[in-house]
Amino acid sequence: MINLVVDQDLHFLIIAALCYQSNSNMKTYLTTDLLEQLKAQTEALLDKAIKERQMIPSDMFSTQPSATEWSATQCLSHLNGYGKYYLPLLEAAIRKASQGNKLSETFTPGWLGEYFTNLMQPKPDGTVSKKMKAPKQNIPPANENSDEVIALFIEQQEKMLQLLNTATGVNLGRRQIPISIAKFIRLKTGDVFRFVVAHNVRHVAQVERALSKVSKTSIRRAPLNTHTVSIIGMHHYRLWNKTK
Amino acid sequence: MHLQTFISAITHLERDEWTDFASIWQPYSARRKELLSAVGEVEKYLYFVTSGIQRAFYIHNKDREATLVFTYPFSFSGIADSFLTQQPSRYYLETLTASTFLRTTYGQLSAVMNKHRKIEQTILKATAFALEGVLQRQIELQCFTAEEKFRALLKRSPHVLGLIPHKYLASYLAIDAATFSRLLSSVRI
Repeated sequence: MINLVVDQDLHFLIIAALCYQSNSNMKTYLTTDLLEQLKAQTEALLDKAIKERQMIPSDMFSTQPSATEWSATQCLSHLNGYGKYYLPLLEAAIRKASQGNKLSETFTPGWLGEYFTNLMQPKPDGTVSKKMKAPKQNIPPANENSDEVIALFIEQQEKMLQLLNTATGVNLGRRQIPISIAKFIRLKTGDVFRFVVAHNVRHVAQVERALSKVSKTSIRRAPLNTHTVSIIGMHHYRLWNKTK
Repeated sequence: MHLQTFISAITHLERDEWTDFASIWQPYSARRKELLSAVGEVEKYLYFVTSGIQRAFYIHNKDREATLVFTYPFSFSGIADSFLTQQPSRYYLETLTASTFLRTTYGQLSAVMNKHRKIEQTILKATAFALEGVLQRQIELQCFTAEEKFRALLKRSPHVLGLIPHKYLASYLAIDAATFSRLLSSVRI
């Protein structure tokens, strides 16, 4: 089972958090604003993955910058593990919430959801706010096929985007998604969206750092000259290219 | 105007013909990964793509997916066969990126085609080109090796590598994702 990648200490923090759980001083979002923000973040990750990551040779993508640092492949594989757990739960939660007639225009994070999101969120300069360590059993294997890992990452981000689109107008405030490390704790749908996206952003920044460390010795594959060919080109519309 | 440039490459329309033709189009936009047309529905629109990428795909036995075609600016999009026959579609059309279009309905297009024989001829010619493209692709799918298909795609549209998830490109070429990755790292264009 996939676990949260945090210190074992977090288990105690959760218990502590539950003891003090309160919604006071929590910022309330307009649901549409929150969703738009998460969509923009997800789109940026997706664009980068499609434009650049797909083109990086697998040996470079799978190289660990040092023995103690994850390769880019490992970072994305780690995120894919989360996606496998949370995306189906988010989908089910939205389906359930959209069947009910209780629409909601605002969303107020729960205490724990806010805590998790802040824990994941990198600072604006891209550095991580709190260094965390993955428990041994959650370190992704170093020998996975990078192309498959990237393909799954793209597929999951596309899925995430579709879920964020369908979430418009539904009530994101119900606590229905059990967290992976402690099934008895349920987070609000909106909080899971927030912290999964923040977690994605965090580890994609790590991908960036890993690649820049190993890039000095590698080259991009498939030399491309996009200017030589017209923007239209696929078979069905081939002859219509005459317009270009 | 892109639509005018596009049409004028197929045929020359007189001023009144163009005015009538231009009047049937309405702007439309869609977000990324939005379904434009679904299986079982009659295609309501003919689209002219002004930005973004779209993908038509078929789902076989609920699990196998085949990418049939991608559309880009500046060309037509929509489920062509369903639109022209006004029969339910057997496949889906979705956006791969945020997209903008001009679009028109079957009723509006039929009306200008009935009014102007020249417009009807233009649509016929465009349909003939599309048909030729489909059959050419049929040849490639049946005769070409994986590498030949890969090379043909990259010769025609190298830019798609950085625009479209490779999984969809592999599906479009009817080769598996691992083969696509292998070709990507070994084939020099």
